[in-house]
Amino acid sequence: MSDPRPPQPQPDALTKAYWEACRRGSLEVSACEDCGHLFLPPGPCCPQCWSMQLGVRPVSGRGHVFSFTIYRRTYHPGMPEPYVVALVQLDEGPRLISNIVGCEPEEVSVDMPVRVRFEDVGDFKLPRFERAVDGGGTS
Amino acid sequence: MTRRAVISGVGHTDFGKLEGRSPWHLEAEAAAAAVADAGLQPSDVDGLLTDPGPSQGILDGITPHFLRMGAQLGLDPDYAGSEILGGAGSVAIVERAALAVEAGLCDVCLCIYGDSPLSSPGSFDYARGDESAFGFFGAAGLHALATRRHMHRFGTRFEHLGEVAVAARAHGARTPHAQKRKPISMDDYLASGQLVEPLRKLDCCLVSDGAAAVLVTTAERARDLRTPAVRILGHAQAHSLSTYATPEHFDRLPAARCGPRALGAAGLGAKDIDVALLYDCFTIVVLLQLEDYGFCKQGESGPFVEGGRIGPAGSLPVNPSGGLLAEGYGSGMLHVIEAVRQLRGETGDRQVAGAETALVSGHGLGMNTHATLVLGS
Ligand SMILES: [Zn+2]
Repeated sequence: MSDPRPPQPQPDALTKAYWEACRRGSLEVSACEDCGHLFLPPGPCCPQCWSMQLGVRPVSGRGHVFSFTIYRRTYHPGMPEPYVVALVQLDEGPRLISNIVGCEPEEVSVDMPVRVRFEDVGDFKLPRFERAVDGGGTS
Repeated sequence: MTRRAVISGVGHTDFGKLEGRSPWHLEAEAAAAAVADAGLQPSDVDGLLTDPGPSQGILDGITPHFLRMGAQLGLDPDYAGSEILGGAGSVAIVERAALAVEAGLCDVCLCIYGDSPLSSPGSFDYARGDESAFGFFGAAGLHALATRRHMHRFGTRFEHLGEVAVAARAHGARTPHAQKRKPISMDDYLASGQLVEPLRKLDCCLVSDGAAAVLVTTAERARDLRTPAVRILGHAQAHSLSTYATPEHFDRLPAARCGPRALGAAGLGAKDIDVALLYDCFTIVVLLQLEDYGFCKQGESGPFVEGGRIGPAGSLPVNPSGGLLAEGYGSGMLHVIEAVRQLRGETGDRQVAGAETALVSGHGLGMNTHATLVLGS
């Protein structure tokens, strides 16, 4: 096919700041200035109190696997199987869909602690996650 | 005098790969079959509600689906519209027809689902916005996440999912118009390839071309029609639109909220339901609904389905026509039609003995939408 890269994010007025923060290597979630709720994906108002006084807050990038699936079918030539898509629960509250990388798909488990690692894909830095070893340190 | 909504006509096309026939052809054929089933004429139809399938979308260019459908059928109805609720759409338009008929907005409301996704490949494998950058494609991915949660929390095993798949095929074997009429064994299920793990190929519903239609009218009008009226005893919807943000999104379906309301309106409990028509795009959705509708406790659906309980010889037959896993992908409208036929006692080899009550569900999009009908003979 013409473009072997996976589909790229399409930043819009709501998500532009999120993807720009990723490009700087920072995971930043939307923060409600009225009720303090932290959320993803970015939206026009706080999904908890509907306030439009919103800011962003950098988060630790640490969390755990809420659930995951191993794709064993190639949907796109830029994403050959097998790969892991996970719903990651961040320690600060929000959740996001991402990939678990740096280990075999079979090693991933629900509740596994993970931490963010940014990977260059096309024009973007995608926030993906790898297994976190408790007690810190690099891996 | 109170107007009570009933279903008086049903009809559908074949389901499968129907080359050379557009959704419009299929929908017209289903509409004509439903009108004929009731013994009515096209000129009697004064309401039109449509559920266009995923490959059609709700719009054809800028023309709303119901508008083009109405133009083709030569209708100038008193009430019309289309809904996009994914797999909950067909049950939802029957519910909406019941509300419209009971409110006096129309007397004979035609509800149509149709699509030909086999002629438009890829329509079920849609990318989900920026999430597609992570390779998160298709309806299977989300349901795989739900399946993994259930396995993790409750110890649900592949064999439990397999019971749902095996039961569907056993039912389909008794349904002359079913797309898959060959029974499968548990070994067949376990040998089927994993696509989006933990989902196997046999956990996933069929993709089909086809159309199905239902006519909703008043009990009074139904008295002189050629088929026995099926009563709409209760209905409700509930939705979960905030998706990943909601803690219970993958652990409970909106069925847990609208099920009790629909059953309550009918004055029934889950134990009073003779035949269950549960939306079955993936096997996990049947397990979740058995819990959320109260057929068993949360976490116990796996053991509940053991031993063929939801199969043809079981104590709670689920989807006796085979459902989306064996009969064909009808977006929930085939589930409504099978409920009607069961309650009329006209389903031959697959008839559930003494069926007087049925529960029908629709479940759609990213596990976001849900609709319930409770029907009675
Ligand atoms: Zn707020």
